[in-house]
Amino acid sequence: MAGSRTGRERSRRAERVALPLAGLATAALLVVMLYYPVGTVLVEAVTRDGAPSLAPLLDVLRDPFYVGALAGAVRDPAGVPAGVVAWVATSVADVLTALAAVPGAVLAPDRSGLDALAAAWATFVGVFPPFGLFGFTAWQALLSTLASLALGLPGAYVLARFEFPGRRTLQSLTAVPFVLPSIMVAVGFVAAFGTNGPLNDLLRALGLPTVDLLFSLEIIVLAHAFYNAPLVTRVVAAAWESVDARAVETARSLGASPLRAFRDVVAPQLAPAVATGALLTFIFTFMSFPIVLALGGLKLATVEVWLYDRVQQLALTEAAALAVLETIVSLGLTYAYLRYEDAASRGDRVASPLEREPLVGLDAKRLALVGYALVVGLVFVLPLVSMLVASVTGPNGLTTRYYDFLLQREATAATSQTKPGVAVRNSLLFGAGTLALSVPMGLVLALASLREGVASRLVGVAAMAPFAVSGVVVGLGMLQGLVFGVDVFGTRLAVGGPVAIVAAHAVGAYPFVVRNVSPLLGGLDRRLVESARALGATRVRALVDIEVPLVMPGIAAGAAFAFAISIGEFDSTVILAEGSNAYTMPVAVERFLTDRTLGPATAMGSVLLVVTAASFVVIDRAGGRYRE
Amino acid sequence: MDSEDAERTGRADGRSRRAYLAAVGSVGATALAGCTGDTGGGATPTETATDGTVTGTPTPTEASLSGTLTVATYPSWVESDGAAGPWLKEQFEAEYPDATVEYVTPDSAINYFIRRKQQGAPIDADAYVGLNVDQLLRVDSELDEPLFAGIGGELSNGDAVRDGLRFDPQERAVPYDTGYIALVFDESAVDRPGTFDDLTEGAWADSLIVQNAQSSATGRAFLLWTVKQFGADGYLDYWRDLDANGITVLGSWDDAYNAYSEGEKPMVVSYSTDQVYANRYDQDMTRHQVAFLNNQGYANPEGMALFADSEKRALATEFMDFMLTAEAQGEIAVRNVQFPAIPAEQANLPEEFARYAKIPEEPVTFTYEELKGNLDGWIEDWAREIAQG
Repeated sequence: MAGSRTGRERSRRAERVALPLAGLATAALLVVMLYYPVGTVLVEAVTRDGAPSLAPLLDVLRDPFYVGALAGAVRDPAGVPAGVVAWVATSVADVLTALAAVPGAVLAPDRSGLDALAAAWATFVGVFPPFGLFGFTAWQALLSTLASLALGLPGAYVLARFEFPGRRTLQSLTAVPFVLPSIMVAVGFVAAFGTNGPLNDLLRALGLPTVDLLFSLEIIVLAHAFYNAPLVTRVVAAAWESVDARAVETARSLGASPLRAFRDVVAPQLAPAVATGALLTFIFTFMSFPIVLALGGLKLATVEVWLYDRVQQLALTEAAALAVLETIVSLGLTYAYLRYEDAASRGDRVASPLEREPLVGLDAKRLALVGYALVVGLVFVLPLVSMLVASVTGPNGLTTRYYDFLLQREATAATSQTKPGVAVRNSLLFGAGTLALSVPMGLVLALASLREGVASRLVGVAAMAPFAVSGVVVGLGMLQGLVFGVDVFGTRLAVGGPVAIVAAHAVGAYPFVVRNVSPLLGGLDRRLVESARALGATRVRALVDIEVPLVMPGIAAGAAFAFAISIGEFDSTVILAEGSNAYTMPVAVERFLTDRTLGPATAMGSVLLVVTAASFVVIDRAGGRYRE
Repeated sequence: MDSEDAERTGRADGRSRRAYLAAVGSVGATALAGCTGDTGGGATPTETATDGTVTGTPTPTEASLSGTLTVATYPSWVESDGAAGPWLKEQFEAEYPDATVEYVTPDSAINYFIRRKQQGAPIDADAYVGLNVDQLLRVDSELDEPLFAGIGGELSNGDAVRDGLRFDPQERAVPYDTGYIALVFDESAVDRPGTFDDLTEGAWADSLIVQNAQSSATGRAFLLWTVKQFGADGYLDYWRDLDANGITVLGSWDDAYNAYSEGEKPMVVSYSTDQVYANRYDQDMTRHQVAFLNNQGYANPEGMALFADSEKRALATEFMDFMLTAEAQGEIAVRNVQFPAIPAEQANLPEEFARYAKIPEEPVTFTYEELKGNLDGWIEDWAREIAQG
């Protein structure tokens, strides 16, 4: 008896230190895998000739190439350039005129409606601000965010509100685009939307005019939506699944129409998730780089294109200055968002999910969904199928040559050659490790940023840092901060290999857990936790027994993202895997690319696609068991 | 024959010598020996390497030709289908049974070693394969201490390298192959362009895909070719005309060639050996026509070098010499789809190679001295011009 009481004491003590310890471990991991390595690069942005200086940042801000009309504002802060004012005035007028034409165009039954819509779109797209490279980068990110919302929100509606066979599998597969290497997406998009692609073939067959999408801003926006709309779908669907059904029922019983109930009860609960999706999409597309050059070209270059070039030239001061400015934009947006989230998500609620409707049936709502399904088929399924087709198509038609290459490499790889099987195994192992590490990390940080106020918002902002720093800079930082090592008492300590890769992936992945869990955690009825604590439960016990089950949809969504981030991560993996056999599938895709043929790389990319899709189905099934 | 064989016998035992002869073939060895013999007299490179008095290198003995030689290179040297790297490793290890060749392929290529040197981290590699003149310029502008050792004069096969290819005035980098940048076009869709000016004409409007010179070696070579043609004062004007006529500037060779293969545009900047690949897979040559503008092609020699910190100087020298043998030169050319660094008639090349690997009438390229201090500025001015468009 005494022994078991001591055991209980001990476990209570363990519970009491568990959270602080987890917090310390998380902080330590962040310092080693992110802040220190990235700091070694970014410090260049605020030093000149060894002394602290803002000169490198000011140099960028004074350069019209980077910031356009704003360069004048930095040189002469008193006078706001007239060009900015003129741009705001004319572009607002242009866009308003264009928008005014839209309702009429939508209603017009003939081609003139289409033409008017196209004209309105061209006006809108053409209005990008005269703020140089930064202005264009922000503009394309904004358009990409709008497109991702437009494509992603109906998906969340379908997945959260309807029941149909294969719903769960479909939901799992939405994470697939997220992990695809840019070269695969480029191959898929060029094949799908090119002059001779199936889309134009179809238009020609229907007697319609063809579309010239490639190498334009539109195709970049579409590719960004391909990557990020599924993200919006997943985040919002998770929030929708935890909407309190009783609140909706109450509103309805008080006489609210379904639309009114949605507006007053459901929409406010979804808003933080929608904003999260928009924020993440903006940040990701703001720092987009290879896909921009593959589908749009240098004329549509983003800041990250320049940053990469500076790093290649080892012009590290300018690279660091660009990276710092990118990070300021991303973290500034995050801070603004967190202020909003604080205001929006405080509520006392307990999730009891809404009932799903059957999808089959015939009404206006469902007809609109058929239209949506067609769009999904065009934007997501067609490029994915095109990728797979490209991997079995040689210059002379169907071939298994590229897969034969993979099999042969697997069987007879010489030392220092990359084996596809090893890449698959590593990717899955690292993905599992990342999931196991990033979920507790994310929970700890979500708890730390739970309280209201500036301090916890700053924790929330710092927690987003892994997303807000350029991948190119993270890679360089890991190289010189970790892989090269530091001399400690005459021994050289270097970090690399599988453990470092999992740690780096977890650092890159936990913000997803935080962002998926925080809004739900913030919306919980605090009295539940307080009562449990009053009854003697430790903080950990209250977390595990009360909060975690209630925010499980968010945790499951975050966990799936964490796995996806790990599978898709390239920048730090390729550096930490150097010299060991810890390469992953995206690294293998890159290594099989040569200046001669894309074949083996597309085959490896297709393996990545299929393996990832299968593992998402498995993970979501496992996660779903907790959910229901 | 004499100097070559004497040297080999002095370093390797009979077994490995037999392996060497089997691998290289006596014809090639004779040709090469004859070649090195020509430069004999005085302190020949061979003598320098053998007695070691000049550079203080250890005399290559049985012991110094064993152990692991770490060779840093780019991924496709190791990974591509039928890559040259693994073949070389196998052949070299057959000749030197006590030696092992290991490849490393850091993602940031030469920058990886520049940063290591700058940060005082050990280099951990002996030789570098795949060095070009831009990388060498960056090495020299970033580092005060030497990253590579001068070795050109110590290679017994070094004199076989064609003079036009040598791009390092200090003889650290020794060329082992070269390529020519040219246009690849679809003759069913567009006429063969003959000059740079043709590309700005209506007949070739909206037809060409080039690569971003900031991130792609192919794109950089094409840009330099235009600088060569129009001068540092005129090339941007040319690009403005080119741009006005409609060009597409994509990120990498893969992006560009993929778009070309899908029929998006009928011309792409690529290599003059394009048909070697096309022929290997029996493709229709219509879409693999090679055009040299103004009868020129921009030469892009690739070199190898010895890291100054390497403790395997003798073994590395032997490896680099091995890469310049007739047999290896032929194999590297075919496997890497490039041209040998030694005169083609001396390399063991299959007959088909000459038929499909096109050589420009007038190869052009910039020297190290001409590029020094100019390269980065030319690229940046160009990129800003295009991105502003």
